[in-house]
Amino acid sequence: MQRLWRGANTQHGMPAALRGTQRWHRPCRAEHLDTQTEVVRLTITSDTPANVAGSATRYRTAAASGTLRIGIIGCGAIAEGAHLPAVLSSPLAELTAMSDLSASRLEYLRRRYRLGPIAFGDYREVVPRVDAVILALPNHLHAAVGVELLSRGIHVLCEKPLALTRQECERFCHAARSTSSVLAVGFVARFFPSTELTKQLVESQFLGELQSFSYEFGTPGGWSPLSGYNLARSTCGGGVLVVSGSHVLDQMLYLFGDADVISYADDSRGGIEANCRGSFVARVDGCPVQGRVVLSKTHQLPNRLRIKGEHGTLEVRGGQTRSVTYLPSRSTVRHELTAAALPPADAEPDHFQLQLHDFVNAIRTGAAPRVDGEQATRSVVLTERCYALATALEEPWCEATLERLAWAAPQPAPGAPAGSLAAGVSAS
Amino acid sequence: MSPQRPRRVLVTGATGLIGGRLCEVMALTGAFEPRPLVHSTGATWRIARFPLEFAMGDLRDGASVDRAMDGCDAVVHLARGGDAVMRRGLDNVLRAAVSHRVLRLVHISSVAVYGSEPPPDSVSEAAVTRSDLPYGNAKLEQEHRVLGYHRRHGLDVVILRPPNIYGPFASFTVGMVNALRSNGVAIVDGGRNPCNLVYVDNLVEAIFLALWRPEASGQVFHVTDPEPVSWERCITDHAALVGVDVPRVPAAALLRPPREHLLRDSLRALPGVLTDGEFWRPLMRLAMVKRGHTILSGWFGLLPERTQRAVRERLRRAASVRRNGSQERRFRADHPFIANQKRTVAHSSEKARRLLGYTAPVSYDEGMRLTAAWLRQAQLLPPQEPERQPVPAANPSGEIENPEAPMIVAVPPPDERKEQFLTEQYDQQ
Repeated sequence: MQRLWRGANTQHGMPAALRGTQRWHRPCRAEHLDTQTEVVRLTITSDTPANVAGSATRYRTAAASGTLRIGIIGCGAIAEGAHLPAVLSSPLAELTAMSDLSASRLEYLRRRYRLGPIAFGDYREVVPRVDAVILALPNHLHAAVGVELLSRGIHVLCEKPLALTRQECERFCHAARSTSSVLAVGFVARFFPSTELTKQLVESQFLGELQSFSYEFGTPGGWSPLSGYNLARSTCGGGVLVVSGSHVLDQMLYLFGDADVISYADDSRGGIEANCRGSFVARVDGCPVQGRVVLSKTHQLPNRLRIKGEHGTLEVRGGQTRSVTYLPSRSTVRHELTAAALPPADAEPDHFQLQLHDFVNAIRTGAAPRVDGEQATRSVVLTERCYALATALEEPWCEATLERLAWAAPQPAPGAPAGSLAAGVSAS
Repeated sequence: MSPQRPRRVLVTGATGLIGGRLCEVMALTGAFEPRPLVHSTGATWRIARFPLEFAMGDLRDGASVDRAMDGCDAVVHLARGGDAVMRRGLDNVLRAAVSHRVLRLVHISSVAVYGSEPPPDSVSEAAVTRSDLPYGNAKLEQEHRVLGYHRRHGLDVVILRPPNIYGPFASFTVGMVNALRSNGVAIVDGGRNPCNLVYVDNLVEAIFLALWRPEASGQVFHVTDPEPVSWERCITDHAALVGVDVPRVPAAALLRPPREHLLRDSLRALPGVLTDGEFWRPLMRLAMVKRGHTILSGWFGLLPERTQRAVRERLRRAASVRRNGSQERRFRADHPFIANQKRTVAHSSEKARRLLGYTAPVSYDEGMRLTAAWLRQAQLLPPQEPERQPVPAANPSGEIENPEAPMIVAVPPPDERKEQFLTEQYDQQ
């Protein structure tokens, strides 16, 4: 399959009708590989929907430069700050289209990055111009748009969370499987060397028997999506548990293999939660390990993961992407652990580009991406479990004085409905 | 004022301390329907806990203010910011309020309009306002604009002047806790002067009343807690929460900020700036500067070694080392929590009580209890009932022996937030 990526290819041998629609497709079974013209003929697996390209056989060629044609759908803050730079500086990908509902936003990005006429208001216009897309739309649109793209043979790197519900995730994964397209999910923290190192240390029983773990992450405010989709449960899927917690839950499942929630409380009052606390139990080598998660968008918290074992504690602080701190029991010494083969700090690659290259590699080689749809589904399922168990966090300062304040409002006219809003905001 | 009563209220500055609590109470009591005007979605978390109707916009953009105002019966203007927000932003709000014929606009000002040393008659609102503080000046100018719209356009306005606002999420509270933790606060001359506090919920009560009480129209009100609280009590109560002792010092022992001499200070600082690598790094991207630097370095290298060393030593700043026992800790006179202790006037909310029926339902003791509960949840204070097992000193990781036990973490805010808070305090007072 490496031949797929040889440079200067041609469209010789391709049926005229298919010229101009050249796309990379994840190979399932190569029927014929013409190394001279570098045109690959592939057969799609039997469960391919009939509407895919109208034929079971497709021709795929490399783009002129030997790079993958990438589109970005949804050009908000994460696209501008992370995905666009990653794609534009990548030797493996070429940005050939992007779309956003906001024309002014597209124009701004086009000027900022000196892009050609590749911006479209409708994401469907992106489809004929790309082999794969980065899907950075508001969360509630991931599944609908992603499934449509996959069904049209486009590989998808979807921003986290994969979707809002388990059902949506399953539809998403099914679409990827049935079209043999790659579905990768943007949990960029998985590409931190510290995450991989922590996983190795946990698996190698570096700490001995694990005793507990604790995630505490919080900052007042922070990430500001431009569309404001993060202000409503209907568009974001939840609050801090989704925005920050999806990374935490994904990492918890990755590190420990299996985890479930025991109890969960948050401060949602009908909107999205800004603070939450949960108790979890992971199962490591058959033994239960208790842990807790505290997340906040209104308070500064220590921003760290701690895993305690019989020999000591591992600590990974927010932003600590290259190393893990080891605090041995009965010692005041702190050890900074790094992987043996780690590039120098100034040569450390952009993690979003690592994620992109992992995605490209999955398309090239047929290997699974580091975070595929099935893995991402697990964190969505765990999120749903948390919300199903949700109780209200105690906030005495919030409610203790309400009755004494309510009198100061104008009393409703006789016959008028009163307090209709309050009735709808009882604690979750 | 019209006998109509407002229902839907546009709240500018809704992501701040007062706006956040105002929206909370409005939503929880159902008293009003708040429509928060939001500039940055990342700052909205506290009020996004409620299913509110958010208006995205920028006060500096008249069109977005106009859209946000559409359908609102009243406005509470709380937003603060740079010059453009304070002037143009307010103008946009006033214009939109007039064009949408809102029933009332409540503008939140500050007792900073009386300056750093308020006149004795500023007990009541009748005193002459004259501020020597940038923030006070900005607020005063805003008051003039608001009252100007009242006179010229008949806009129904109310102005509220709160003092130090304490409570959950208050920068006064968080700043006090952090200042105490870093030993930055002292009680000056016994801390006898009034602290001029208002618990945030009491201010919310005043805003509620100001939104609809006919007697409020066109009036200016102080909104303070009626219970007099001295600086000594306020500081010692916060210190008790933090678990520290507060030093007491006479005013004469405070470290006065050096008087500013524009030219002399600039000349003194110049060698340090010119020898700072951070200064030259971006400049070196300019080819001309780089070439000039190379030439000068070449010339400098031709000088005798001894001369080079002498020049370097001359440019090097004197090392500032605090010698053991050389000096007692001295507190800066311009620290906000120290400078404010010289304010002798207790601003009264008698007028608000008389005309609005303001009751300030939350006492100081209750306010402090609720504040302490919030500080604990925010991990700015340790939990009230420590259930942790004694941890051997040699085990730095022992604090998570029991994963269910609350974790005690003293987290000082990032420096920039501390600086920002100090700046705000300077401005406010």
